[in-house]
Amino acid sequence: MSEYAISVASNMGMIAFVALSAYVILVVGEISFGQQAYFGIGAYMSGAATAMWGWPFGLALAVGSLSAAAAAFAIGALTIRLRGLYFAISTLCFAEMLRLWLNSVHVRVEVDGEMVGPDGAEGFGDIRWIFENDVTPLEFMFIIYGLLGAVLAFLLLVERSRLGAALRMVGQDPLLARSQGIDASACKLLAVMFAGLIAGLGGGLYAHFATYIEPNVFNVMLGVHGLAYGLIGGLGTALGPIIGVVLDIGFLEGIRAIQGYRMIVFGGLVAILLIVMPRGILDETRVYRIKRWMRRT
Amino acid sequence: MVDFIQTTIDGLSIGSAYSLIALGFTLVFGVMRRINLSYGPSIMLGAFAGTWIFVTLDAQPWLVAAVTVAGTVAVGVYVERVCFWAIRRDAAIASMVSSFVIWMQLEEVATILLPGRTYPFPELFRTGGVEIGPYFFRMEYVTTLTVAILVLVMLRLLLFKTRFGLALRAVSENPAAAAYMGIRPGRVIFRAFVLASLIGGIAGYLLLAADQQVTPYFGLWATFKGLIAMMLGGMGSIPGAVVGGLILGVIESQTQWYLGNAYKDLSSYLVLFMVLVLRPGGLLGQGIAEREAQAFRRI
Repeated sequence: MSEYAISVASNMGMIAFVALSAYVILVVGEISFGQQAYFGIGAYMSGAATAMWGWPFGLALAVGSLSAAAAAFAIGALTIRLRGLYFAISTLCFAEMLRLWLNSVHVRVEVDGEMVGPDGAEGFGDIRWIFENDVTPLEFMFIIYGLLGAVLAFLLLVERSRLGAALRMVGQDPLLARSQGIDASACKLLAVMFAGLIAGLGGGLYAHFATYIEPNVFNVMLGVHGLAYGLIGGLGTALGPIIGVVLDIGFLEGIRAIQGYRMIVFGGLVAILLIVMPRGILDETRVYRIKRWMRRT
Repeated sequence: MVDFIQTTIDGLSIGSAYSLIALGFTLVFGVMRRINLSYGPSIMLGAFAGTWIFVTLDAQPWLVAAVTVAGTVAVGVYVERVCFWAIRRDAAIASMVSSFVIWMQLEEVATILLPGRTYPFPELFRTGGVEIGPYFFRMEYVTTLTVAILVLVMLRLLLFKTRFGLALRAVSENPAAAAYMGIRPGRVIFRAFVLASLIGGIAGYLLLAADQQVTPYFGLWATFKGLIAMMLGGMGSIPGAVVGGLILGVIESQTQWYLGNAYKDLSSYLVLFMVLVLRPGGLLGQGIAEREAQAFRRI
């Protein structure tokens, strides 16, 4: 694989974490414009863990994703009674507050004679774990896809369980779910927390892949792209967001020839796709049909 | 004290433009319960059309204003047809995502039209302003405030004194019941969209003429300012949009004056977050949230 292909594939893998986390929230019937915040928390925390405190990589990733999950839990607990656009805007508010606040966070420590740490709008550079441990881009890509595969497998397992059915029911009709004895708020909170965890894991990977992060990376465009991928791919299965990411980034890289017009072409195609398939390519009905077809053969 | 009042005046003037953008959002949200993320970008593209004839043909300011508003309406109609009319009524998320991909399209059209980052935008008058006692009124702000009040009065008359206004209010109350009364919701939605684009075009022109420059980021900025102002006041409520816009303008100008530029956006997000957590439903839109909460408590 060429270096360029590896970097495109790695980027696809990392944005897939954002798309999956947006998808988990879409399943329980809410929209989040703020998953970039948890991606950012994961990136900053795990970046700090390896670069400033010298922790091992695995532990750093765990710290990043767990702190993102904790933040998601706290924000979720505050906003859980909001629904629809109110919830969506509250997630946007939190994400933007975090991004603007990170612009004024300066925590610099001395490591091996050099100052490292978040430096406000100047960003947080020198996250050198990948160089210090001689990890090649190809190896790092395998780490990304290994973790992505694990998350995906877990989500697919959950979807087959009673919990998955409960989450979908809350997404379809929270009132009906409650009358079936399902605690709708607890389900939503669980989904929000798990979405934070996934986004944080992706962020931790991103910090070590890019070796430099700055608050503006985690702006609202990242979250809205993730949301769009989740919907384009389809809301029927956790494979949907992956399809959305592959379609978007793969397609955009594929039509580099018509640079300057590709967003017009691509935007038009997605708009048509959404007219024909308003719940994405792999929506609930299609997933059900595929499953039935697979059982028969 | 003089400082405080002066900043409040400036905030109210900017806020009145925010109110207009929020009104556009509220009108469209009220009749179809879906959000149009492309609202700001369509204003941006209209303004780019305006600045394009200003840069290439050296047009008069009034012509630039007319092209800005007409361009916004044209783009608004395109967005309505592609993202809302063509998509099933119950697929609200698909409409929203569709309006987002169309946003990306509009941004690219804008950069093809004018490839630079920043373009000049003509001001309305070349006069400085009015001084009343210790207070100074910038001419652009006086115009913004006057036009905003005019638009509000006209909108109020349109909504409460005409058949179209009655139809619009009926559809936003209950689309099915309105359809039984012989109102065509599709047509009302289309007209509400044109009306919202008209108001948005005017607001965009006023804001940009006060800034005297336009960038492609204006789309993002306008969409989120409008959303914040609308949510502050309460969704779908017209007085709410006006109050929300004015509050947002005052908060921004006060924090900018007393705490500095870095806290301007942070404070408006913080205030909105607190309003959402403490009073979900906005300041003036408590009704809907309250009814839903009661329905939840009953079971």
